[in-house]
Amino acid sequence: MTAKESKSQKKRPADAVKDQKVEGKNRASISLLLGSWFLPGFGHWRLGKKRRAGVFAAVVFCAFVTGVFLHGEVGTPKPASPFSWLAAFACLGNGILAVGRLVWLNGLGGLVGGFPFGLQGGGSPSAAGFAYGNTFLYTAGLMNLLAVLDVSDIARGEKD
Amino acid sequence: MDHLLLMIWHALLVSVFFAFLWRSTSVGRRNLFLKTFLIMVVGAAALGWLMFPFP
Repeated sequence: MTAKESKSQKKRPADAVKDQKVEGKNRASISLLLGSWFLPGFGHWRLGKKRRAGVFAAVVFCAFVTGVFLHGEVGTPKPASPFSWLAAFACLGNGILAVGRLVWLNGLGGLVGGFPFGLQGGGSPSAAGFAYGNTFLYTAGLMNLLAVLDVSDIARGEKD
Repeated sequence: MDHLLLMIWHALLVSVFFAFLWRSTSVGRRNLFLKTFLIMVVGAAALGWLMFPFP
């Protein structure tokens, strides 16, 4: 076999990724996605995107801390309010930050025993910054969830 | 508490996030950051100004 033939038979990395996509084998691992959700920036860090990981972690952390300092409430489900589930979903997107805040407010026993309707989300509705704080908390969680989707895209080879 | 500063801080965080999410080059990130940041801040100020006549 000549050198030219062996070169033409070698697959480029992009072709290999394309082949895997066709076969449906190229998936992001569940542990990577869960880690990326729980620890903002973790997924990008594991995939070698360290700068992006640092920026995402810093942005999510800053937004969450701002929300808490503005007396925002970490969303928890309430029986009479269907929209509270959406708020809870958005806030849970913060991963360890939201879980940590709920443990801080309810205690570990209260978190387990009070799930889902007996949880306290903190915050103070009478505070001037309550609505702003909630906005920061929701935004931080949703940004982290978008970062998880980004990790999935990168791991599947859909994006650099 | 300054509401304008809070709005600018929020716009800054969101703009930085999307610049890094959607662009991979430094120039692309800078351009997208400036575009989204200015749209959010100037747009919010303009909407606030337009809402002045309404109760």
